Amino acid sequence: MPTPNAASDASTKPVEREVVITRIFDAPRPLVFKMWTEPKHLTQWWGPKSFTNSACEVDARVGGKWRIVMRAPNGEEYPGGGVYREIVEPERLVFTNNAIDKDGNTILEGLTTVTFVEAGRQTKLTLQTRAVAVVPYAAAYLAGMQAGWTQSLERLAEHLARG
Amino acid sequence: MKLLGYVQQPSLDATFAALADPTRRAILARLASGEASVTDIAQPFAMTQPAISKHLKVLERAGLISRGRDAQRRPRRLEAAPLKDVADWVENYRQFWTESLDRLDDYLHQLQMKEKKRAHTQRRK
Repeated sequence: MPTPNAASDASTKPVEREVVITRIFDAPRPLVFKMWTEPKHLTQWWGPKSFTNSACEVDARVGGKWRIVMRAPNGEEYPGGGVYREIVEPERLVFTNNAIDKDGNTILEGLTTVTFVEAGRQTKLTLQTRAVAVVPYAAAYLAGMQAGWTQSLERLAEHLARG
Repeated sequence: MKLLGYVQQPSLDATFAALADPTRRAILARLASGEASVTDIAQPFAMTQPAISKHLKVLERAGLISRGRDAQRRPRRLEAAPLKDVADWVENYRQFWTESLDRLDDYLHQLQMKEKKRAHTQRRK
């Protein structure tokens, strides 16, 4: 993957500090909302492909904390967590979304807003994560996580090749 | 929780507030091609040197530029790291959410399939 040239990005276009993704889910809104606030569901889908979640705690109240520990296919663990800022069931969820290193230091700090809109029998979900803070060694952390992904893809390719 | 390194880092809000101004972006563009003295930086702008110095101070506080060693000229140079960190951060989260939401989609299908099967079996009992 080419490394974005931060210098030329600075001069030619404003640097983006947020991600916005919209998806339609083929499921009723209350069910889609529940996926975000119940650990038994959250652990089934949270995280990149072929990551698993070894621990998850959710206190789904405004000011309540959530915590999840993702495990990469190579066994490396990536804990994350945050605090709920807004909970309007089944419409809207706002929470801080932080990556934490092994010593409990916050590495990346984000604010995520998820909105759920009924679209017939489907649900339109819009997700926005805004970068709030990044610490200097975040790059190394991200590189490690990227390696975890790449490894899992390589393993999948090997598995397929063996048939 | 240790937050030492974190506190020392200029806040992203400061970084982005610094980037919001077109003159400051133009200064960064100039510095992208190499370090330059304040006089050199001010030259293409219809602005007084104190006005330019004010912009440079904002950029410096945001961690986007630093001063070179030459004590006479005090050349300014671009510090690309904060921008690269943010670009990496955003890209990482885009990938994270894209893959998570793919999995959520699959999981919702499975759940509803199970639910349908269960309802069907119960009706037949």
